[in-house]
Amino acid sequence: MAEEEKKKVKRPLGHARLKPGKCIACGARCQSECKVEAVEMNDKGEPVINLGKCTGCRRCIRICPAEAIEIYFTPEEQKILDELAKQQTGEKPAAPVVEPVDEAAVKLAAKLKEYKGVWVFVEQSEGVPAEVSWELLGVGKDLAKTRNVELCAVVIGDKVKDICQDAFSYGATKAYLIDSPVFLHYRTEPYYKAVCYLINKYKPEIVLIGATGLGRDLAGAVATDMATGLTADCTGLSIDENGFLLQTRPAFGGNIMATIKTERTRPQMSTVRPHVMPLPKKDPACKGQVVVESFPLNEKDILVKVLEVIDDRKGAGDVDIAGAEVIVSGGRGMLNKENFKILQELADELGGVVGGSRATIEAGWLPVERQVGQTGKTVRPKIYFACGISGAIQHLVGMQDSDVIIAVNRDASAPIFEVATYGIVGDLFQVVPGITNRIRELRKAKRNTPSAENTACVPEDKTNGTS
Amino acid sequence: MEPVSGVWGYVLFWGLTALAAGIFFQRFIQITKLISLGREGEKPARTMKKILGAIGHFIAQTCQFKNIRKKDRAGIGHLFMMWGFLFFVTYYFFFIIIASGFGVPQMENSSVYVIYCWIMDFVAPFVLIGALWGLIRRFFFHPTRLEGQRTWESLIILITVLLHPITHIGKIATQIAAGVAPAGQGMPNPPISAAVAHLFANTNIPAWHTFWFWAHWAFVLVVLAIIAYTRYFHMFAAVINDIMLPERKGKLALIDLKDQKTFGVGRVDNFTQRQLMDTYACVVCGYCQDACPANYTKKPLNPRLIVRDVKSNLMTNGPLLLDQKEPSLALIGGGKEGSIAEDALWSCTTCYACMEVCPVYIEHVPKIIEMRRHLVQIESKFPPELLNLFENMEQRSNPWGIAPSDRAKWAADLNVKPFEAGKTEYLFYVGCFGSFDARAKQVTVAITKILDAAGVTWGILGKDEKCCGDSLRRLGNEYVFDRMARENIKQYQDKGVTKIITECPHCFTVLKNEYPQYGAKFEVIHHTELINQLINEGKLKLNGSVDVGKMVIHDSCYLGRHNGIYEAPRAVVKAATGKAPEEMERNHKRGFCCGAGGGRMWLEESLGSRINIERTEEALKNDPKTVCVACPYCMTMFADGLKDKGVDNKVQVLDVAEIVAKGLQK
Repeated sequence: MAEEEKKKVKRPLGHARLKPGKCIACGARCQSECKVEAVEMNDKGEPVINLGKCTGCRRCIRICPAEAIEIYFTPEEQKILDELAKQQTGEKPAAPVVEPVDEAAVKLAAKLKEYKGVWVFVEQSEGVPAEVSWELLGVGKDLAKTRNVELCAVVIGDKVKDICQDAFSYGATKAYLIDSPVFLHYRTEPYYKAVCYLINKYKPEIVLIGATGLGRDLAGAVATDMATGLTADCTGLSIDENGFLLQTRPAFGGNIMATIKTERTRPQMSTVRPHVMPLPKKDPACKGQVVVESFPLNEKDILVKVLEVIDDRKGAGDVDIAGAEVIVSGGRGMLNKENFKILQELADELGGVVGGSRATIEAGWLPVERQVGQTGKTVRPKIYFACGISGAIQHLVGMQDSDVIIAVNRDASAPIFEVATYGIVGDLFQVVPGITNRIRELRKAKRNTPSAENTACVPEDKTNGTS
Repeated sequence: MEPVSGVWGYVLFWGLTALAAGIFFQRFIQITKLISLGREGEKPARTMKKILGAIGHFIAQTCQFKNIRKKDRAGIGHLFMMWGFLFFVTYYFFFIIIASGFGVPQMENSSVYVIYCWIMDFVAPFVLIGALWGLIRRFFFHPTRLEGQRTWESLIILITVLLHPITHIGKIATQIAAGVAPAGQGMPNPPISAAVAHLFANTNIPAWHTFWFWAHWAFVLVVLAIIAYTRYFHMFAAVINDIMLPERKGKLALIDLKDQKTFGVGRVDNFTQRQLMDTYACVVCGYCQDACPANYTKKPLNPRLIVRDVKSNLMTNGPLLLDQKEPSLALIGGGKEGSIAEDALWSCTTCYACMEVCPVYIEHVPKIIEMRRHLVQIESKFPPELLNLFENMEQRSNPWGIAPSDRAKWAADLNVKPFEAGKTEYLFYVGCFGSFDARAKQVTVAITKILDAAGVTWGILGKDEKCCGDSLRRLGNEYVFDRMARENIKQYQDKGVTKIITECPHCFTVLKNEYPQYGAKFEVIHHTELINQLINEGKLKLNGSVDVGKMVIHDSCYLGRHNGIYEAPRAVVKAATGKAPEEMERNHKRGFCCGAGGGRMWLEESLGSRINIERTEEALKNDPKTVCVACPYCMTMFADGLKDKGVDNKVQVLDVAEIVAKGLQK
């Protein structure tokens, strides 16, 4: 180094080096941490450090879980260090020490700074926005507030300008609108290209998309095109002290929660499943700015054509139990179709829907779209009542992720009690109407005394936990 | 009195014979060409032994004997006709072709001829009875087994059979009436022919003799000509089928996933040659359709029609394929003969009942699975419920998608050791049901108690255990099965496993019979067999007085028909309770499926009635207190059926191991 230049001595940083036999082949964390691509992995999964590239930034040392990397100095460097140390112990430093600058890091920081704002993609089909978009605006608002940036909605479709106002009433302050007949129906190619066009032009730091069938398709395509990270099915989103988005999602079958950061690329993208985030309050008075963009795309350039849209909703009475917040389910213990009346009453009282086990569908007591379980629907409502359901494994896997499970069954050894939050051993024909009546009483009491606490619809109060 | 005489006589005789033989061979060659369209498939091993075996089966008619029951004695009629046919063929060869065709009438001037005519006199009435029985049964009594089979073809066949003994007796009787051989040998005449001879007194005997001779030979030639056009052909195809049988019933082909362009069968020429040939063996006897649980419960699957449709499809598309043209009839689709509906393919429980009863060694189930493979792996078309299953299997290696770390939860409160080579003799492969299902977990615990009581050293894989892949293989998802099988085998080998105990007959079948296709060599034993062995060796002491009330036993298809284990579960429960379990109406080889095999466990049963209800009702006829099973699938299906019938508080389902665990001597 600049040994002769006595006036400006640069403090040598040294180079990273692998301590022999220490590497545990954790999965190339040092490589992914290295900003200058000085680390290559060999067949054993150990790092090979390119000393020509290594800047001695010590990132790999910090990330290494096995403390297998150390810094070493060449004899010349060591000499400078010794000298510097000597000077430090002396009265005055002979020459100003210039701390080295990590050029790559500076560049990256500058790039990241360009990206500003939180975006939510507003999903719509035939002009009807999906509720998950509003849920995302709710969480997006918090993120935008923490980052002190704008919350923007991205609306793409054909004659969908009205949706922008909806987005404002759920908290967005700006909406990017691309309105063209090409976007009448969702197709991957035009949609992802349009979103990427907007991202390239306005550079948002965060893009949130609902983890619906459409959203999962779009998010993957956009992230690939932008060459950025995407965390699917997040259950928690927040901002860390450095301004990065912390994306939390279950991993390894829900046994651990992984928190994922997108450190080097932008935008930071996440998808969130419907009903994971709370729906924010709607305020129609809120206004925002609509930025109308046009993305030139010719119908004839798109290979995929929508020939026909087939509606699989069967009719007005069709209920999507997968989206319900409260499900009151009955099993074989209901004995007949008429008895489902008591479940319907309880469901009505709680604003929920009635579902059932396979046996009830088989018996013709409920329509097939109400089936919960392995071969029916997988549900995760806030409250799941299992009435007269013994809890065969086929049923359990369809509902065990519900927030609260309340089981009513005569048989104390029924497997349903293994997953139930609250278990009631008893005759469901007494227990269920009892719960319904108690809720009604509490509602009434609440109406009479408006200051009463808002506990009316929390059924835990009335259950005798026996599980 | 020589019916074939003069140049024109011989020209007519040999001309007609050549014509009939020509028709036969023309068709025979055509069929051979069509069959050769198929893939080569695996070559059967130990050919000589198999050829001898097949001839033995043919002569001894084992195929008929296995199906003769009190309720269905039709096989006896076939025995009459078949054995009679052997005598007739011999007669034709010596006394028509050589004696008359080659003009060696001296052959009839021997005592051998008289003796043979005596034999034929006794054989002919049996053939007559067999044919008449068949006609009357088929066209007047309408047994369910022959539903939809009162066809012209069967009428022609039975009538041609019927005419052989009649014309034969006519020929001999006129000979006797004329006073020539056999009567001329100074030996007593065969009685029936002699009695019939009186009818021809005072008639133009030589004319009658010529008539009966030519009528007889004409029918023989008609039969020869139509053999390859009708199910007469089974006399050849069934024997070849028997020779070509794989070493294990229903063995599924291994797909080379790196090499092959087609994964499964979507077009008729994707079948192997053996699979195509066995369709020609079908005699439309209907045993399979009667035994099939799917057909029995009015589902769109009829194993007989699967065979018929494959054959029809080959007959329609084969000539086009031979000309390098595109086939005109889709193999999978349904709607008309020669095309198989997807619903039919998904209805199969792979219980092997059809293959068990088939007298001509047809393998229905592997065909169905090959077509499922095509649907799943090429067209990605399968019942929507399976999407969940396939995803869960691929990602979590269990059917429900439960966290793999929960696999050993059943052992949390027990002192269960992991498998360690050298320290533990057996690996106890628990399986998905035994690990996750609340009810089956109780069986798992019962097995561990028994093993400990008998001093067996065993260990588990714990959360490293993975699904065996049975359902995937039956459902045609060979790609994922292949990966799981290889991973499992590698894991066992790495851990030094040599002996494996399974709780579930499905795991048992896969580990024992199918993993060897991937080079695995483990000794695999089902818990019922091991317990039986331990009792016999005196290592397991039972008090012999377990009281579970009146008990009926149900055979698991994957233990019974798939592996031939029928007696071990029975012996074990007998040792535990002191008395033999009662049998249901359909038992042992004829046992009726619970409805869950072949991946049906993971499918809705929306077509027809429910198989498990049918079986539960059958069990309830014995008025039992306990239904004894040896398979977690059967247990689930019975438990469900009993609940459905509202008797779950009166009748219990217990696994063999649970009954044994109750009777362990402390």
